[in-house]
Amino acid sequence: MDDLKVVGHPVTRIDVDEKVTGTATYGYDLVLPDMLHGKVLFSTRAHARIVRIDLEKARRHPGVVAVISGEDTPWTHGESIKDKPFLAQGKVRYIGEPVAAVAAVDEDTAQAALKLIEVEYEDLPAYFTPEEACQPGAVAIHEEFEGYRKAPFIVGAPMPNVCEHFKLRTGDTAEGFRQSDMVLEEKYYVPIIQHAAMEPHSAHAQVDPDSGRVTVWVANDAPFRALTEVSEALGLPQEQIRLINPLQGGGFGSKGGLKLEPIAMGLAFHTGGRPVRVKFNREETFISTLVRHEATVHIKSGVKNDGTLMARHMTLYWGGGAYAEKSPTVCIRGSLPSPGPYRIPHVHVDGYAVYTNKPVAGAYRGYGIPQGAWATEQHMDELARRLAMDPVDFRLKNVFVDGDMAYWGEQLHNVGLTETLTKAAAAIDWGKPKPAGVGRGLACISKPTRSPTTSNAGVLVDADGEITVLAGTVEIGQGCNTILAQVAAEELRVPIEQVQVAPLDTDLIPFDASTTSSRSTYHMGNAVRRAAIHAREQLLEMAGPALEGKQDELVVAGGKVHLKDHEDMALTYGELIRRGLGGEAVLRGDGSYTYEIGKDLNLETGHSDHASAFYMYATQAAEVSVDEETGRVRLHRLSAAHDVGKAINPLNCVAQIEGGVAMGIGSALHENLVIDENGKVRNPSFLDYHLVTSLDVPEIIPIVVECAEPEGPYGAKGLGEPGLAPTPAAIGNAVADAIKSRIRDLPLTPERVFWALEERDRK
Amino acid sequence: MSQPIEFTLNGQPTSVDAPAHRLLLDLLRDEIGITGTKEGCGTGDCGACTVYLNGQPVNSCLVLTGELSDVDVVTIEGLKDGDAYHPIQAAFIEDGGAQCGYCTPGMLMMAASFLEENPDPTDDDIRFALSGNLCRCTGYVKIVEAVQDAAAELRRRTGKGQDNG
Repeated sequence: MDDLKVVGHPVTRIDVDEKVTGTATYGYDLVLPDMLHGKVLFSTRAHARIVRIDLEKARRHPGVVAVISGEDTPWTHGESIKDKPFLAQGKVRYIGEPVAAVAAVDEDTAQAALKLIEVEYEDLPAYFTPEEACQPGAVAIHEEFEGYRKAPFIVGAPMPNVCEHFKLRTGDTAEGFRQSDMVLEEKYYVPIIQHAAMEPHSAHAQVDPDSGRVTVWVANDAPFRALTEVSEALGLPQEQIRLINPLQGGGFGSKGGLKLEPIAMGLAFHTGGRPVRVKFNREETFISTLVRHEATVHIKSGVKNDGTLMARHMTLYWGGGAYAEKSPTVCIRGSLPSPGPYRIPHVHVDGYAVYTNKPVAGAYRGYGIPQGAWATEQHMDELARRLAMDPVDFRLKNVFVDGDMAYWGEQLHNVGLTETLTKAAAAIDWGKPKPAGVGRGLACISKPTRSPTTSNAGVLVDADGEITVLAGTVEIGQGCNTILAQVAAEELRVPIEQVQVAPLDTDLIPFDASTTSSRSTYHMGNAVRRAAIHAREQLLEMAGPALEGKQDELVVAGGKVHLKDHEDMALTYGELIRRGLGGEAVLRGDGSYTYEIGKDLNLETGHSDHASAFYMYATQAAEVSVDEETGRVRLHRLSAAHDVGKAINPLNCVAQIEGGVAMGIGSALHENLVIDENGKVRNPSFLDYHLVTSLDVPEIIPIVVECAEPEGPYGAKGLGEPGLAPTPAAIGNAVADAIKSRIRDLPLTPERVFWALEERDRK
Repeated sequence: MSQPIEFTLNGQPTSVDAPAHRLLLDLLRDEIGITGTKEGCGTGDCGACTVYLNGQPVNSCLVLTGELSDVDVVTIEGLKDGDAYHPIQAAFIEDGGAQCGYCTPGMLMMAASFLEENPDPTDDDIRFALSGNLCRCTGYVKIVEAVQDAAAELRRRTGKGQDNG
């Protein structure tokens, strides 16, 4: 592997010319011929029956083509629980839920028609925290829950409004606590935040009036999963549905599932074949798309005086919002590793995903890992402080290393965690003297990836020698197209400039599970690699007779094939294809990759002998100081060491880490989607919801650790999500070190820090 | 309601009928059909829709069409110098200043304008100048690097200013 020509090198992005010249067309930019404009009426009540809804005045408004409500869209959908109607049916479950929609000749007309829709509500009790929603006696937010279609892994609980109960049972925690010298119990909280991708949400839909075929143009991060979900909801065969994926202006998980797609489709069934565009502005995106799960985490640990972790008991309440969306799988995959990347003999975890009357929580970069890490990694520092141990030493004594049996029953391999820990700490001068008032802290995480999943790919070589990759991975900004082009260029021995990636259209591109869970480089990287090798093998088969040589005498280099020692007689790929297949022919290589896990997750114990294709490991370390007058946290520097297996594109790895850390800083210090006592979002704008600006980011020290994963392409794992996962806990630990007081709720606003200082001084 | 609006767009005389209350952002995207200028918030908080109005960077979501008579508007589509990239575009490509790219047009317009005023900035100068342009992907690190590299290239071309090193 030492002779890699393209893989492992810092290649500039292949999609960047169109992005710096303004010619890139995103979903939000897309204009279709004869297109109508859709607008949505949102619920103004958190939990209420719809007593009356009158669309007639709106329907009579000039320029209006269609007005629909839940009665016109008798369909429900959901990733693992089919609980979400296209438009509210009979009741509303959060402020911002789509209740009715209008399609009109322009947006102004559609907006005017919305005002003519009359809705009468009858309020029901509403719940705004997961704990209160699952108290005995709470009113069901979904009365029909028992009757919903559900995935086989869904586990219920004898509590109201719980849509998933994850259980992990290892050893005997009671015995573990008895064997401990010290037991500590704490509670942490992570609020709702939003992805806030710079491109707001949109979807376009059209129904062919003759064939009934449905086409949706949407920047969705999992077009094939969306296609399945649409097919199941509408009861149409998959061949009757087409998803076209325009360029996506950021996602971070927000653009998975179905959000505006059902509304656009619902309208498109009533426009006589005209396409409809539904766009949400920023405020609508804040109140009615997806958010990250709020979580309350109870954690209790037992530890020996020498720092050996003996037992950990955790209860996590995940606030899912009004519909299940991805709550069950966030609950499972977020709760499972929430005790942290440590050897612990006795572990007991209960994770509850709970409906509330708030915006719907979905996938968010990190998929439940940041919430658990905020609690566990600060709790680790609290334990270390009480043991009078250095936080690094305490972690080094307990962290996963190669060959460890994880508490979920899987033996771990290729664990780069220790290297991330020592390097991240060293990068901020851990253990060296620091000025008064300066605090240092760090946090470790491990993250599984969604498993098992499949990626398929095609690689086309045309008669000009141009290479096109067909892959269902979505370019969200993470740089996947460049990575996949690098893989194809490597295997076909051509410069990357000769490779392009085809636009994503489910009619033309082979199946891929999703662009989620940091799975693409590993899964799709393997599929593209296999497809490129398949294409290369076909070229070599054609080259043998053409060059009058045996297969083992052929050499592939620079987009040509030649006989050993006869480089001057080389034939280009184009020449081979023209000779072998004809002038206009295109040669196609195919590749597929499926990672088969071991036994399914045991739903009673949470155990699996192989739960994930690979695990990502990271440690981040922060150095901060605090203005004791105002409570403002000042970040000095942050190091971020990530085990990526193998950096296929080192430039891109660093970019992913930097961007992730900045997002983590936002969730640590500023971000909080404030929802009032009536369920209304109070800060649905960038003026009031504080995204990280260029002034908020300190020096970031990215560190790429390469602990190769043999099954991954060239040894690669994944990297997209972990960048933000340990950041808040690392900063939280640094703040606690600086002010000698612990803050257990995010974000670390000046006000919270100020009160923590007051509390410290009172003691 | 519509009225004829005449202005210069990327060097070309342009005439379009639009209501006076139409936002410049929507005029560009919906009426004229050039979509390089992005809508991130529509309320002047994110900078994605930055264009030049008579040479000054503005949020085009805060400008009404009725204000446009006889003005000069430059958008991202007009940033290139003929076929050549503006140095800020070249630096964004080389340094990885764009990821999803949605904030990029506004970021480039603001950065290019800033470099005309301050050809030899410190990193803090750049961070301050771009603090009204939100980016969710990059953490701004490679953006600041790219602006520095573009500044150095512009100084090299004009032979002005000192290199900060």
